[in-house]
Amino acid sequence: MSAPITHLLDGETVTAVAGEVWSALVGEEEYLLPGFGPVGPAVAGPSSWVTVTGPWNGVVVLTCEQSGTADLTRSVLQMRADEEPTEEDVDDVLRELANILGGNVKSLLPGPSTLGLPETGTPPVRADDEDTCRVSASWRGHDLAITIQGASEAPATTTEVNK
Amino acid sequence: MRALVIDDSRAMRRIVASILEGFGYETRPAGHGREALDVLEEGWVPDLACIDWNMPVMDGLQFVSVVRANPAWRSVTLMMVTTESEHGQIVKALAAGAHEYVIKPFTADAIGDKLALLGLMPTGVPA
Amino acid sequence: MTTALATSGFDWVCQLVRRESAIVLAPGKEYLVEARLMPLARQMGLPGVAELVDRVRARPDPVAIRGIVEALTTNETSWFRDGDPFTTLTSTVVPALQAARRPTEDIKIWSAACSSGQEAYTIGMLLADALPSAASRVKITATDISRAMVERTRAGRFSQLEVNRGLPAPMLIRHFTRVGTEWEIAPALRGMVTASELNLAGPLPRLGPFDVVYLRNVLIYFDPPTKRDILRKVRQVMRPDGWLFLGAAETTLGVDDTWERVPCGRGSAYRPTKGN
Repeated sequence: MSAPITHLLDGETVTAVAGEVWSALVGEEEYLLPGFGPVGPAVAGPSSWVTVTGPWNGVVVLTCEQSGTADLTRSVLQMRADEEPTEEDVDDVLRELANILGGNVKSLLPGPSTLGLPETGTPPVRADDEDTCRVSASWRGHDLAITIQGASEAPATTTEVNK
Repeated sequence: MRALVIDDSRAMRRIVASILEGFGYETRPAGHGREALDVLEEGWVPDLACIDWNMPVMDGLQFVSVVRANPAWRSVTLMMVTTESEHGQIVKALAAGAHEYVIKPFTADAIGDKLALLGLMPTGVPA
Repeated sequence: MTTALATSGFDWVCQLVRRESAIVLAPGKEYLVEARLMPLARQMGLPGVAELVDRVRARPDPVAIRGIVEALTTNETSWFRDGDPFTTLTSTVVPALQAARRPTEDIKIWSAACSSGQEAYTIGMLLADALPSAASRVKITATDISRAMVERTRAGRFSQLEVNRGLPAPMLIRHFTRVGTEWEIAPALRGMVTASELNLAGPLPRLGPFDVVYLRNVLIYFDPPTKRDILRKVRQVMRPDGWLFLGAAETTLGVDDTWERVPCGRGSAYRPTKGN
Protein backbone atom coordinates (compact mmCIF):
# COMPACT_ATOMS: atom_id res chain seq x y z
CA MET A 1 0.00 0.00 0.00
CA SER A 2 1.20 3.47 -0.72
CA ALA A 3 0.66 6.73 1.12
CA PRO A 4 -2.72 8.48 0.73
CA ILE A 5 -3.07 10.74 -2.30
CA THR A 6 -2.74 13.92 -0.23
CA HIS A 7 0.85 12.87 0.52
CA LEU A 8 1.60 12.17 -3.14
CA LEU A 9 0.07 15.10 -4.99
CA ASP A 10 -1.02 18.65 -4.30
CA GLY A 11 -3.91 20.59 -5.75
CA GLU A 12 -1.62 23.04 -7.49
CA THR A 13 0.03 20.28 -9.52
CA VAL A 14 -3.36 18.87 -10.52
CA THR A 15 -4.50 22.35 -11.55
CA ALA A 16 -1.34 22.78 -13.64
CA VAL A 17 -1.90 19.42 -15.35
CA ALA A 18 -5.56 20.27 -16.03
CA GLY A 19 -4.49 23.66 -17.42
CA GLU A 20 -2.20 21.96 -19.96
CA VAL A 21 -4.95 19.52 -20.94
CA TRP A 22 -7.35 22.40 -21.43
CA SER A 23 -5.05 24.56 -23.50
CA ALA A 24 -4.10 21.66 -25.79
CA LEU A 25 -7.48 20.00 -26.17
CA VAL A 26 -10.14 22.60 -25.50
CA GLY A 27 -8.37 25.56 -27.08
CA GLU A 28 -5.10 27.47 -26.94
CA GLU A 29 -6.63 30.45 -25.21
CA GLU A 30 -8.91 28.50 -22.91
CA TYR A 31 -8.15 29.03 -19.29
CA LEU A 32 -9.25 27.02 -16.30
CA LEU A 33 -9.64 29.30 -13.33
CA PRO A 34 -8.39 27.37 -10.31
CA GLY A 35 -10.59 26.81 -7.28
CA PHE A 36 -9.66 25.37 -3.94
CA GLY A 37 -7.72 22.42 -2.52
CA PRO A 38 -7.12 19.86 -1.11
CA VAL A 39 -10.80 18.85 -0.97
CA GLY A 40 -12.84 21.48 -2.72
CA PRO A 41 -16.61 21.58 -2.83
CA ALA A 42 -18.38 18.90 -4.83
CA VAL A 43 -19.75 19.83 -8.26
CA ALA A 44 -23.06 18.38 -9.41
CA GLY A 45 -23.14 17.11 -12.98
CA PRO A 46 -22.04 14.35 -15.35
CA SER A 47 -18.84 12.55 -14.40
CA SER A 48 -16.25 10.48 -16.20
CA TRP A 49 -13.39 8.59 -14.63
CA VAL A 50 -10.49 6.18 -15.01
CA THR A 51 -9.06 3.79 -12.47
CA VAL A 52 -5.40 3.78 -11.54
CA THR A 53 -3.96 0.51 -10.22
CA GLY A 54 -0.51 0.28 -8.71
CA PRO A 55 1.14 1.18 -5.43
CA TRP A 56 -1.72 3.71 -5.09
CA ASN A 57 -5.20 2.49 -6.06
CA GLY A 58 -8.04 4.80 -6.90
CA VAL A 59 -9.90 6.76 -9.54
CA VAL A 60 -9.45 10.09 -11.26
CA VAL A 61 -12.88 11.66 -11.74
CA LEU A 62 -13.82 14.64 -13.88
CA THR A 63 -17.17 16.23 -13.07
CA CYS A 64 -18.58 18.99 -15.22
CA GLU A 65 -21.64 21.08 -14.45
CA GLN A 66 -24.45 20.00 -16.81
CA SER A 67 -24.67 23.50 -18.31
CA GLY A 68 -21.07 23.26 -19.54
CA THR A 69 -20.94 19.82 -21.13
CA ALA A 70 -22.34 20.78 -24.55
CA ASP A 71 -20.04 23.79 -24.76
CA LEU A 72 -17.05 21.68 -23.75
CA THR A 73 -17.90 19.01 -26.33
CA ARG A 74 -18.24 21.61 -29.09
CA SER A 75 -14.84 23.09 -28.19
CA VAL A 76 -13.01 19.76 -28.11
CA LEU A 77 -14.64 18.48 -31.31
CA GLN A 78 -14.30 21.89 -32.98
CA MET A 79 -18.01 21.99 -33.78
CA ARG A 80 -19.89 25.13 -34.82
CA ALA A 81 -21.54 27.14 -32.03
CA ASP A 82 -25.03 26.23 -33.32
CA GLU A 83 -24.30 22.50 -33.58
CA GLU A 84 -25.90 20.36 -30.88
CA PRO A 85 -23.60 17.52 -29.83
CA THR A 86 -25.20 14.10 -29.33
CA GLU A 87 -25.20 12.40 -25.95
CA GLU A 88 -22.62 10.00 -27.35
CA ASP A 89 -20.35 12.92 -28.33
CA VAL A 90 -20.60 14.38 -24.82
CA ASP A 91 -19.85 11.04 -23.14
CA ASP A 92 -16.96 10.41 -25.46
CA VAL A 93 -15.39 13.81 -24.84
CA LEU A 94 -15.80 13.53 -21.06
CA ARG A 95 -14.27 10.04 -21.15
CA GLU A 96 -11.29 11.17 -23.18
CA LEU A 97 -10.68 14.16 -20.90
CA ALA A 98 -10.76 11.83 -17.87
CA ASN A 99 -8.41 9.45 -19.69
CA ILE A 100 -5.85 12.17 -20.40
CA LEU A 101 -6.13 13.70 -16.93
CA GLY A 102 -5.82 10.21 -15.43
CA GLY A 103 -2.79 9.31 -17.52
CA ASN A 104 -1.01 12.50 -16.55
CA VAL A 105 -1.88 12.07 -12.87
CA LYS A 106 -0.71 8.46 -13.02
CA SER A 107 2.70 9.57 -14.26
CA LEU A 108 3.14 11.63 -11.07
CA LEU A 109 2.39 8.74 -8.72
CA PRO A 110 4.85 6.16 -7.47
CA GLY A 111 4.77 3.47 -10.15
CA PRO A 112 4.53 1.38 -12.11
CA SER A 113 0.78 1.83 -12.34
CA THR A 114 -1.85 0.81 -14.85
CA LEU A 115 -4.65 2.94 -16.26
CA GLY A 116 -8.11 1.47 -16.82
CA LEU A 117 -10.43 2.34 -19.69
CA PRO A 118 -12.48 5.50 -19.08
CA GLU A 119 -16.14 5.30 -18.08
CA THR A 120 -19.04 7.69 -17.59
CA GLY A 121 -22.02 7.56 -15.23
CA THR A 122 -22.11 7.56 -11.47
CA PRO A 123 -18.53 7.55 -10.23
CA PRO A 124 -17.35 5.24 -7.47
CA VAL A 125 -17.81 6.57 -3.93
CA ARG A 126 -14.86 8.58 -2.80
CA ALA A 127 -12.59 7.61 0.06
CA ASP A 128 -12.09 9.73 3.18
CA ASP A 129 -10.69 13.24 2.92
CA GLU A 130 -7.16 12.12 3.60
CA ASP A 131 -7.16 9.97 0.46
CA THR A 132 -8.94 12.56 -1.70
CA CYS A 133 -7.49 15.45 -3.63
CA ARG A 134 -10.11 17.59 -5.32
CA VAL A 135 -9.55 20.74 -7.28
CA SER A 136 -12.45 22.77 -8.47
CA ALA A 137 -12.13 25.02 -11.43
CA SER A 138 -14.23 27.16 -13.63
CA TRP A 139 -14.25 27.22 -17.42
CA ARG A 140 -16.29 29.86 -19.25
CA GLY A 141 -18.32 30.23 -16.07
CA HIS A 142 -19.13 26.51 -15.73
CA ASP A 143 -17.97 24.70 -12.61
CA LEU A 144 -15.75 21.67 -12.92
CA ALA A 145 -14.06 19.39 -10.44
CA ILE A 146 -11.23 16.92 -10.73
CA THR A 147 -11.29 14.44 -7.88
CA ILE A 148 -8.46 12.02 -7.30
CA GLN A 149 -9.81 9.59 -4.79
CA GLY A 150 -8.53 6.43 -3.19
CA ALA A 151 -10.32 3.15 -3.77
CA SER A 152 -13.25 2.86 -1.39
CA GLU A 153 -14.73 -0.27 0.14
CA ALA A 154 -18.22 1.27 0.08
CA PRO A 155 -20.76 -0.03 -2.46
CA ALA A 156 -20.49 1.78 -5.76
CA THR A 157 -24.24 2.47 -5.92
CA THR A 158 -24.29 5.15 -3.22
CA THR A 159 -24.04 8.68 -4.55
CA GLU A 160 -22.40 11.48 -2.71
CA VAL A 161 -24.77 13.95 -1.10
CA ASN A 162 -24.02 17.48 -2.23
CA LYS A 163 -23.76 19.96 0.56
CA MET B 1 -0.18 10.15 -47.99
CA ARG B 2 -2.37 7.87 -45.95
CA ALA B 3 -2.77 7.51 -42.20
CA LEU B 4 -4.60 5.05 -40.00
CA VAL B 5 -5.92 6.66 -36.81
CA ILE B 6 -6.36 4.09 -34.03
CA ASP B 7 -8.08 5.22 -30.84
CA ASP B 8 -11.09 3.97 -28.90
CA SER B 9 -12.23 7.55 -28.39
CA ARG B 10 -14.26 8.90 -31.29
CA ALA B 11 -13.39 12.41 -30.16
CA MET B 12 -9.68 11.67 -30.30
CA ARG B 13 -9.96 9.94 -33.71
CA ARG B 14 -11.75 13.02 -35.00
CA ILE B 15 -9.13 15.41 -33.58
CA VAL B 16 -6.14 13.45 -34.91
CA ALA B 17 -7.78 12.84 -38.29
CA SER B 18 -8.67 16.49 -38.74
CA ILE B 19 -5.08 17.54 -37.94
CA LEU B 20 -3.69 15.02 -40.44
CA GLU B 21 -6.25 15.93 -43.10
CA GLY B 22 -5.19 19.55 -42.61
CA PHE B 23 -1.69 18.45 -43.66
CA GLY B 24 -3.11 16.74 -46.73
CA TYR B 25 -3.48 13.17 -45.46
CA GLU B 26 -6.19 10.69 -46.38
CA THR B 27 -7.21 8.98 -43.13
CA ARG B 28 -9.11 5.93 -41.95
CA PRO B 29 -10.28 5.33 -38.38
CA ALA B 30 -10.04 2.20 -36.23
CA GLY B 31 -11.43 1.78 -32.70
CA HIS B 32 -8.78 -0.68 -31.50
CA GLY B 33 -5.76 -2.69 -32.64
CA ARG B 34 -7.75 -5.61 -34.04
CA GLU B 35 -9.90 -3.33 -36.16
CA ALA B 36 -6.73 -1.63 -37.42
CA LEU B 37 -5.22 -5.01 -38.40
CA ASP B 38 -8.38 -5.72 -40.40
CA VAL B 39 -7.75 -2.55 -42.39
CA LEU B 40 -4.13 -3.57 -43.07
CA GLU B 41 -5.11 -7.13 -44.00
CA GLU B 42 -7.64 -5.78 -46.43
CA GLY B 43 -4.67 -4.20 -48.24
CA TRP B 44 -5.00 -0.56 -47.14
CA VAL B 45 -1.39 -0.08 -46.00
CA PRO B 46 -0.84 3.52 -44.82
CA ASP B 47 2.34 5.60 -44.58
CA LEU B 48 1.59 6.37 -40.95
CA ALA B 49 -0.38 4.86 -38.06
CA CYS B 50 -1.26 7.03 -35.03
CA ILE B 51 -1.84 4.61 -32.18
CA ASP B 52 -3.45 5.03 -28.78
CA TRP B 53 -2.11 2.74 -26.04
CA ASN B 54 -5.08 1.78 -23.83
CA MET B 55 -7.87 0.33 -25.95
CA PRO B 56 -10.27 -2.58 -25.62
CA VAL B 57 -9.82 -5.87 -27.60
CA MET B 58 -6.23 -5.17 -28.70
CA ASP B 59 -4.14 -2.40 -27.19
CA GLY B 60 -1.66 -0.20 -29.02
CA LEU B 61 1.44 -1.99 -27.83
CA GLN B 62 0.17 -5.37 -29.06
CA PHE B 63 -0.74 -3.78 -32.39
CA VAL B 64 2.79 -2.36 -32.76
CA SER B 65 4.33 -5.79 -32.08
CA VAL B 66 2.09 -7.53 -34.63
CA VAL B 67 2.78 -4.93 -37.32
CA ARG B 68 6.53 -5.01 -36.76
CA ALA B 69 6.55 -8.82 -36.99
CA ASN B 70 5.11 -8.71 -40.53
CA PRO B 71 7.68 -7.70 -43.22
CA ALA B 72 4.84 -6.73 -45.59
CA TRP B 73 4.03 -3.81 -43.30
CA ARG B 74 7.59 -2.58 -42.82
CA SER B 75 6.85 0.68 -44.63
CA VAL B 76 4.30 1.81 -42.04
CA THR B 77 5.62 4.44 -39.61
CA LEU B 78 4.21 3.77 -36.16
CA MET B 79 3.55 6.76 -33.92
CA MET B 80 2.09 6.27 -30.46
CA VAL B 81 -0.37 9.02 -29.46
CA THR B 82 -1.21 8.32 -25.86
CA THR B 83 -1.65 9.69 -22.38
CA GLU B 84 0.89 7.16 -21.06
CA SER B 85 3.74 9.50 -20.23
CA GLU B 86 6.19 7.78 -17.90
CA HIS B 87 9.77 7.47 -19.10
CA GLY B 88 9.53 3.67 -18.78
CA GLN B 89 6.41 3.49 -20.93
CA ILE B 90 8.05 5.39 -23.78
CA VAL B 91 11.07 3.06 -23.55
CA LYS B 92 8.70 0.08 -23.72
CA ALA B 93 6.84 1.39 -26.78
CA LEU B 94 10.04 2.14 -28.70
CA ALA B 95 11.43 -1.29 -27.76
CA ALA B 96 8.26 -2.88 -29.16
CA GLY B 97 8.93 -1.10 -32.45
CA ALA B 98 7.17 2.26 -32.33
CA HIS B 99 9.08 4.94 -34.27
CA GLU B 100 7.74 8.03 -32.55
CA TYR B 101 5.74 9.01 -29.53
CA VAL B 102 3.37 11.90 -28.87
CA ILE B 103 2.06 12.46 -25.36
CA LYS B 104 -1.57 13.52 -24.86
CA PRO B 105 -2.46 16.32 -24.50
CA PHE B 106 -0.84 17.63 -27.69
CA THR B 107 -1.36 20.51 -30.10
CA ALA B 108 -1.69 20.33 -33.89
CA ASP B 109 1.80 21.85 -34.09
CA ALA B 110 3.18 18.94 -32.07
CA ILE B 111 1.87 16.47 -34.68
CA GLY B 112 3.22 18.69 -37.47
CA ASP B 113 6.68 18.82 -35.85
CA LYS B 114 6.80 15.01 -35.58
CA LEU B 115 5.71 14.54 -39.21
CA ALA B 116 8.47 16.92 -40.32
CA LEU B 117 10.96 14.96 -38.21
CA LEU B 118 9.84 11.67 -39.76
CA GLY B 119 9.93 13.07 -43.29
CA LEU B 120 6.19 12.45 -43.50
CA MET B 121 5.02 15.99 -44.11
CA PRO B 122 3.32 16.01 -47.52
CA THR B 123 5.11 18.42 -49.88
CA GLY B 124 3.64 21.85 -50.40
CA VAL B 125 2.65 22.21 -46.77
CA PRO B 126 4.54 24.93 -44.91
CA ALA B 127 6.30 23.40 -41.89
CA MET C 1 -15.29 36.76 -8.55
CA THR C 2 -12.61 38.94 -10.07
CA THR C 3 -13.36 42.01 -12.13
CA ALA C 4 -12.77 41.89 -15.88
CA LEU C 5 -9.91 43.83 -17.41
CA ALA C 6 -11.20 47.21 -18.63
CA THR C 7 -10.31 48.57 -22.06
CA SER C 8 -8.00 51.19 -20.53
CA GLY C 9 -6.16 48.44 -18.65
CA PHE C 10 -5.80 46.36 -21.81
CA ASP C 11 -4.53 49.37 -23.77
CA TRP C 12 -2.00 50.10 -21.05
CA VAL C 13 -0.71 46.51 -21.22
CA CYS C 14 -0.46 46.73 -25.04
CA GLN C 15 1.54 49.96 -24.87
CA LEU C 16 3.84 48.53 -22.23
CA VAL C 17 4.55 45.38 -24.23
CA ARG C 18 5.11 47.38 -27.41
CA ARG C 19 7.51 49.76 -25.69
CA GLU C 20 9.52 47.01 -23.99
CA SER C 21 9.62 44.39 -26.74
CA ALA C 22 8.39 45.97 -30.01
CA ILE C 23 5.75 43.22 -30.11
CA VAL C 24 2.22 44.33 -31.02
CA LEU C 25 -0.77 42.67 -29.34
CA ALA C 26 -3.77 42.70 -31.64
CA PRO C 27 -7.06 44.19 -30.39
CA GLY C 28 -9.43 41.50 -29.17
CA LYS C 29 -6.65 39.66 -27.33
CA GLU C 30 -8.07 40.63 -23.93
CA TYR C 31 -8.73 36.98 -23.21
CA LEU C 32 -5.12 36.08 -23.92
CA VAL C 33 -3.90 38.86 -21.63
CA GLU C 34 -6.20 37.59 -18.86
CA ALA C 35 -5.04 34.00 -19.29
CA ARG C 36 -1.32 34.73 -19.51
CA LEU C 37 -1.24 37.22 -16.63
CA MET C 38 -3.46 35.32 -14.21
CA PRO C 39 -0.59 33.20 -12.80
CA LEU C 40 1.42 36.40 -12.15
CA ALA C 41 -1.55 38.04 -10.41
CA ARG C 42 -2.00 34.98 -8.18
CA GLN C 43 1.72 34.89 -7.45
CA MET C 44 1.48 38.50 -6.24
CA GLY C 45 -1.47 37.61 -4.03
CA LEU C 46 -4.00 39.53 -6.14
CA PRO C 47 -7.44 38.22 -7.07
CA GLY C 48 -7.24 38.99 -10.78
CA VAL C 49 -5.55 40.63 -13.74
CA ALA C 50 -7.48 43.92 -13.42
CA GLU C 51 -6.11 44.28 -9.89
CA LEU C 52 -2.61 43.44 -11.13
CA VAL C 53 -2.77 46.13 -13.81
CA ASP C 54 -4.16 48.69 -11.33
CA ARG C 55 -1.39 47.89 -8.87
CA VAL C 56 1.42 48.19 -11.42
CA ARG C 57 -0.04 51.36 -12.98
CA ALA C 58 -0.27 53.00 -9.57
CA ARG C 59 3.14 51.80 -8.40
CA PRO C 60 5.39 50.81 -11.32
CA ASP C 61 7.59 47.96 -10.15
CA PRO C 62 10.36 46.76 -12.51
CA VAL C 63 9.99 43.11 -11.46
CA ALA C 64 6.24 43.08 -12.11
CA ILE C 65 6.67 44.96 -15.40
CA ARG C 66 9.24 42.47 -16.55
CA GLY C 67 6.90 39.67 -15.51
CA ILE C 68 4.05 41.11 -17.57
CA VAL C 69 6.19 41.62 -20.68
CA GLU C 70 7.69 38.15 -20.47
CA ALA C 71 4.34 36.45 -19.91
CA LEU C 72 3.00 38.06 -23.07
CA THR C 73 6.00 37.72 -25.37
CA THR C 74 7.29 34.20 -24.84
CA ASN C 75 6.55 31.78 -27.59
CA GLU C 76 6.58 28.04 -27.69
CA THR C 77 9.68 26.89 -29.53
CA SER C 78 10.26 23.47 -30.95
CA TRP C 79 13.40 21.36 -30.85
CA PHE C 80 14.49 20.59 -34.39
CA ARG C 81 12.98 23.73 -35.86
CA ASP C 82 13.89 23.58 -39.61
CA GLY C 83 16.06 20.43 -39.24
CA ASP C 84 18.85 21.32 -41.72
CA PRO C 85 20.92 23.70 -39.59
CA PHE C 86 21.17 20.84 -37.09
CA THR C 87 21.78 17.83 -39.33
CA THR C 88 24.57 19.64 -41.21
CA LEU C 89 26.21 20.42 -37.89
CA THR C 90 27.14 16.77 -37.34
CA SER C 91 27.51 15.80 -41.02
CA THR C 92 29.61 18.74 -42.22
CA VAL C 93 30.37 21.59 -39.87
CA VAL C 94 31.81 19.95 -36.76
CA PRO C 95 33.85 17.33 -38.71
CA ALA C 96 35.40 20.20 -40.72
CA LEU C 97 36.18 22.08 -37.52
CA GLN C 98 37.66 18.99 -35.89
CA ALA C 99 40.03 18.66 -38.83
CA ALA C 100 40.95 22.35 -38.81
CA ARG C 101 41.53 22.82 -35.09
CA ARG C 102 44.22 21.45 -32.78
CA PRO C 103 42.89 18.47 -30.77
CA THR C 104 43.15 20.45 -27.53
CA GLU C 105 41.18 23.43 -28.84
CA ASP C 106 37.56 23.91 -27.80
CA ILE C 107 34.87 24.18 -30.42
CA LYS C 108 32.65 27.11 -29.41
CA ILE C 109 29.04 27.36 -30.46
CA TRP C 110 26.71 30.28 -29.74
CA SER C 111 22.95 29.95 -29.56
CA ALA C 112 21.92 33.63 -29.74
CA ALA C 113 18.34 34.34 -28.60
CA CYS C 114 18.14 30.90 -27.02
CA SER C 115 14.63 31.24 -25.58
CA SER C 116 14.13 28.40 -23.07
CA GLY C 117 17.16 26.48 -24.35
CA GLN C 118 15.75 24.02 -26.90
CA GLU C 119 18.23 25.06 -29.60
CA ALA C 120 21.28 24.84 -27.32
CA TYR C 121 20.26 21.42 -26.00
CA THR C 122 19.35 20.16 -29.49
CA ILE C 123 22.94 20.96 -30.53
CA GLY C 124 24.28 19.24 -27.42
CA MET C 125 22.20 16.08 -27.87
CA LEU C 126 23.07 15.74 -31.56
CA LEU C 127 26.78 15.98 -30.87
CA ALA C 128 26.60 13.63 -27.88
CA ASP C 129 24.81 11.04 -30.03
CA ALA C 130 26.58 11.39 -33.39
CA LEU C 131 30.05 12.70 -32.51
CA PRO C 132 30.78 11.80 -28.89
CA SER C 133 34.50 12.45 -29.45
CA ALA C 134 33.72 16.03 -30.45
CA ALA C 135 31.08 16.60 -27.76
CA SER C 136 33.68 16.69 -24.99
CA ARG C 137 35.44 19.69 -26.58
CA VAL C 138 32.29 21.60 -27.54
CA LYS C 139 31.27 24.58 -25.40
CA ILE C 140 27.83 26.01 -26.04
CA THR C 141 27.01 29.58 -25.06
CA ALA C 142 23.27 30.34 -24.89
CA THR C 143 22.08 33.93 -24.54
CA ASP C 144 18.72 35.64 -24.41
CA ILE C 145 17.45 39.11 -23.60
CA SER C 146 14.99 37.68 -21.08
CA ARG C 147 16.21 36.82 -17.60
CA ALA C 148 13.39 34.31 -17.19
CA MET C 149 14.42 32.51 -20.39
CA VAL C 150 18.07 32.40 -19.29
CA GLU C 151 17.00 30.88 -15.98
CA ARG C 152 14.86 28.33 -17.78
CA THR C 153 17.77 27.41 -20.05
CA ARG C 154 20.01 26.94 -17.02
CA ALA C 155 17.43 24.75 -15.30
CA GLY C 156 17.06 22.56 -18.40
CA ARG C 157 13.51 21.64 -17.47
CA PHE C 158 10.69 21.42 -19.96
CA SER C 159 6.96 20.87 -19.73
CA GLN C 160 5.22 17.95 -21.37
CA LEU C 161 3.83 20.26 -24.06
CA GLU C 162 7.37 21.46 -24.78
CA VAL C 163 8.94 18.00 -25.11
CA ASN C 164 6.08 17.12 -27.47
CA ARG C 165 7.28 19.79 -29.90
CA GLY C 166 9.66 18.10 -32.35
CA LEU C 167 11.95 16.32 -29.91
CA PRO C 168 12.57 12.80 -31.28
CA ALA C 169 11.29 10.19 -28.80
CA PRO C 170 14.60 8.25 -28.76
CA MET C 171 16.38 11.47 -27.70
CA LEU C 172 13.76 12.15 -25.05
CA ILE C 173 14.30 8.78 -23.37
CA ARG C 174 18.08 8.94 -23.77
CA HIS C 175 18.69 12.42 -22.44
CA PHE C 176 15.80 13.32 -20.11
CA THR C 177 14.28 12.14 -16.86
CA ARG C 178 10.83 12.88 -15.49
CA VAL C 179 10.77 15.28 -12.53
CA GLY C 180 7.17 15.76 -11.42
CA THR C 181 5.20 17.18 -14.34
CA GLU C 182 8.38 18.20 -16.16
CA TRP C 183 11.29 16.61 -18.03
CA GLU C 184 14.85 17.46 -17.07
CA ILE C 185 17.87 17.28 -19.36
CA ALA C 186 20.82 15.08 -18.29
CA PRO C 187 23.52 16.81 -16.20
CA ALA C 188 26.20 16.06 -18.83
CA LEU C 189 24.27 18.12 -21.38
CA ARG C 190 23.52 20.88 -18.95
CA GLY C 191 27.26 21.01 -18.35
CA MET C 192 27.90 21.72 -22.06
CA VAL C 193 25.71 24.84 -21.99
CA THR C 194 26.47 28.17 -20.31
CA ALA C 195 23.53 30.58 -20.33
CA SER C 196 23.59 34.33 -19.80
CA GLU C 197 21.56 37.48 -20.42
CA LEU C 198 22.44 39.47 -23.51
CA ASN C 199 20.78 42.17 -25.59
CA LEU C 200 21.83 41.73 -29.23
CA ALA C 201 20.88 45.30 -30.04
CA GLY C 202 23.29 46.67 -27.41
CA PRO C 203 27.10 46.54 -27.24
CA LEU C 204 28.32 42.94 -26.99
CA PRO C 205 30.44 41.87 -24.03
CA ARG C 206 33.67 39.88 -24.58
CA LEU C 207 32.51 36.66 -26.20
CA GLY C 208 33.86 33.78 -28.23
CA PRO C 209 35.55 33.60 -30.58
CA PHE C 210 32.85 31.28 -31.90
CA ASP C 211 33.21 28.57 -34.51
CA VAL C 212 29.46 28.33 -35.10
CA VAL C 213 26.68 30.85 -34.42
CA TYR C 214 22.96 30.13 -34.49
CA LEU C 215 21.16 33.45 -34.92
CA ARG C 216 17.81 32.18 -36.10
CA ASN C 217 14.50 34.00 -36.32
CA VAL C 218 15.92 37.03 -34.52
CA LEU C 219 16.85 39.49 -37.28
CA ILE C 220 13.24 39.53 -38.52
CA TYR C 221 12.34 41.66 -35.49
CA PHE C 222 14.78 44.48 -36.30
CA ASP C 223 14.98 47.28 -38.88
CA PRO C 224 17.71 47.10 -41.62
CA PRO C 225 20.33 49.34 -39.86
CA THR C 226 19.99 47.33 -36.62
CA LYS C 227 20.19 44.06 -38.60
CA ARG C 228 23.45 45.21 -40.22
CA ASP C 229 24.81 46.34 -36.86
CA ILE C 230 24.02 42.97 -35.26
CA LEU C 231 25.58 41.01 -38.14
CA ARG C 232 28.78 43.13 -37.91
CA LYS C 233 29.01 42.55 -34.17
CA VAL C 234 28.44 38.83 -34.61
CA ARG C 235 31.24 38.65 -37.19
CA GLN C 236 33.61 40.30 -34.73
CA VAL C 237 33.11 37.48 -32.22
CA MET C 238 33.45 34.73 -34.86
CA ARG C 239 36.50 32.82 -36.10
CA PRO C 240 37.36 33.72 -39.74
CA ASP C 241 36.43 30.20 -40.86
CA GLY C 242 33.27 30.07 -38.72
CA TRP C 243 29.71 29.23 -39.73
CA LEU C 244 26.59 31.32 -39.19
CA PHE C 245 23.09 29.87 -39.38
CA LEU C 246 20.09 32.17 -39.83
CA GLY C 247 16.36 31.37 -39.84
CA ALA C 248 14.87 29.91 -43.02
CA ALA C 249 13.29 33.27 -43.93
CA GLU C 250 16.42 35.34 -43.16
CA THR C 251 19.51 36.29 -45.14
CA THR C 252 22.56 38.56 -44.98
CA LEU C 253 22.09 39.42 -48.66
CA GLY C 254 21.25 43.07 -49.13
CA VAL C 255 21.84 43.70 -45.43
CA ASP C 256 25.54 43.16 -44.85
CA ASP C 257 27.82 42.17 -47.78
CA THR C 258 30.69 40.86 -45.67
CA TRP C 259 29.21 37.35 -45.68
CA GLU C 260 29.32 34.59 -48.23
CA ARG C 261 26.32 32.30 -48.58
CA VAL C 262 27.28 28.63 -48.89
CA PRO C 263 24.91 25.72 -49.51
CA CYS C 264 24.56 23.52 -46.47
CA GLY C 265 22.20 20.53 -46.63
CA ARG C 266 19.00 21.75 -48.26
CA GLY C 267 19.54 25.22 -46.78
CA SER C 268 22.35 27.72 -46.46
CA ALA C 269 25.00 28.80 -44.02
CA TYR C 270 26.90 32.09 -44.04
CA ARG C 271 30.68 32.46 -43.69
CA PRO C 272 32.71 35.63 -43.25
CA THR C 273 34.35 36.74 -46.50
CA LYS C 274 38.11 37.14 -46.46
CA GLY C 275 39.60 40.56 -45.85
CA ASN C 276 36.71 41.95 -43.82
